[in-house]
Amino acid sequence: MGEIFDKIFHMTALDSLIDQPQFLIMYALAFLLLYLGIKKEFEPLLLVPIAFGVLIANFPGGNMGVLAAVDQTVNGILYHNAITLADGSIWCNADGIPYNIYEVGLPQIAHDLGIMNFLYYALIKSGLLPPIIFMGVGALTDFGPMLRNLKLAIFGAGAQFGIFAVLLVACNFFTLPEAASLAIIGGADGPTAIFTTIKLAPHLLGPIAIAAYSYMALVPVIVPLVVKLTCSEKELRINMKQQDKLYPNKTEFKNMRALKIIFPIATTTIVAIIVPDAVALVGMLMFGNLIKEIGNNTSRIFDAASNAIMNSATIFLGLCVGATMTVEAFLNWTTIGIVAGGFLAFGFSIFGGIMLVKLMNLFSKKKINPLIGATGLSAVPMASRVANNIALKYDKSNHVLNYCMSSNVAGVIGSAVAAGILIAFLG
Amino acid sequence: MSDSGNFFEALKLLGIGLSTVFLVLILIIQFGKLLIAAVNKFAPEEDEKPKKVAVATAQVAIDPNVQQAIELAVKTITDGKGRVEKIERI
Repeated sequence: MGEIFDKIFHMTALDSLIDQPQFLIMYALAFLLLYLGIKKEFEPLLLVPIAFGVLIANFPGGNMGVLAAVDQTVNGILYHNAITLADGSIWCNADGIPYNIYEVGLPQIAHDLGIMNFLYYALIKSGLLPPIIFMGVGALTDFGPMLRNLKLAIFGAGAQFGIFAVLLVACNFFTLPEAASLAIIGGADGPTAIFTTIKLAPHLLGPIAIAAYSYMALVPVIVPLVVKLTCSEKELRINMKQQDKLYPNKTEFKNMRALKIIFPIATTTIVAIIVPDAVALVGMLMFGNLIKEIGNNTSRIFDAASNAIMNSATIFLGLCVGATMTVEAFLNWTTIGIVAGGFLAFGFSIFGGIMLVKLMNLFSKKKINPLIGATGLSAVPMASRVANNIALKYDKSNHVLNYCMSSNVAGVIGSAVAAGILIAFLG
Repeated sequence: MSDSGNFFEALKLLGIGLSTVFLVLILIIQFGKLLIAAVNKFAPEEDEKPKKVAVATAQVAIDPNVQQAIELAVKTITDGKGRVEKIERI
């Protein structure tokens, strides 16, 4: 009888949990993220799958944690992209030679390493899902406000300052590809951060994705904080509509529909020529937008891109990213560095956008509210909504939402271009 | 690579990266302006004049879209047998 109970005990995960209580920390993290996603509604579409991925990846024996491929030396011979299994042994063939995971078929990965590794190596590590999500984002984005206020789009570049500034700091503590993956959090764009990390430092994917989405969810806290530290009340009272009346924009729009159709094609061409490494993201973003703007003739694929495909991609992206956060991958000083560095990158990006507005206001008669620079991040449309609320606090007639959307949407392009540059130089 | 080597590489990336992002967005802005001018000149939208719809009630102006919706609803409910002769605001 005792033997049966002993066997049942070993069959459960309780045995391993007692041996390795650090798993409990991962459960606490998963529960916290679930709470933030469900109760506090912080980016629930992504935080809930990520949190659940963390949870299921950390049950000993569940075979759901993503195993990182790293170069390993066995008996003095270097093996590329070898996999260390949960029990510490290396995944080998019948002759005892470690597998290179990229030379193994997906069915064998699913069979030997579990379904989550199959999904991770097929969908994430291949770099497939972030561009697919960008296509959906493009299908949901309206470039109209940007076309109506084209000049303001430049702040989408100013707000990429945080990425490169934090790269300067982080390179003292991380390798350059790792530092670049951390710094891209400053772009405030989850898929871009994931895409860059997959290319440059895939072993940091979990913490970087979590930090990126957490800070994006904290935009309503971080933007007001940086604005309060850097802007005067006089600047925040700059009324954009009054400025438009004083210095009217003479641009006429005689055919906005044609403009919106040509714009994604033109933007893709420009970006493809200058930064080819950014085309996977910008190209798919613009493709999604194009099928939206064409209208009835492409409404079926627009519907697929913005609903079914994007939602499926979001589920798998979230679960797989969460499943990379195993005890070994998460509970270390690197993660703490990423969390701190990500916050700095985010803050510096907002700061960069604000400073560019201030600089332009020095030389221009038509003044711009610095909040429009603060929204050069690509957290669309949350950053714009937050900025609009701040403007309304100081002047109830100062609706800056449409102006902010210009720099905000430009920020999506800016951060994708910045990612392309980092991948081109460090990938 | 040494730490100072990393730093200078990062500094180089700061310069190249930020200037490229600015360059791309400036090009998009300038090209956008060109595009607006070109579309205004070569493909201005033709103003679609609202089609005249015979409205049964001459005294009360009914929105053509509302009238169309009412006619469609009547057609559907009566399997095409019924028709709208008069629409009145009450």
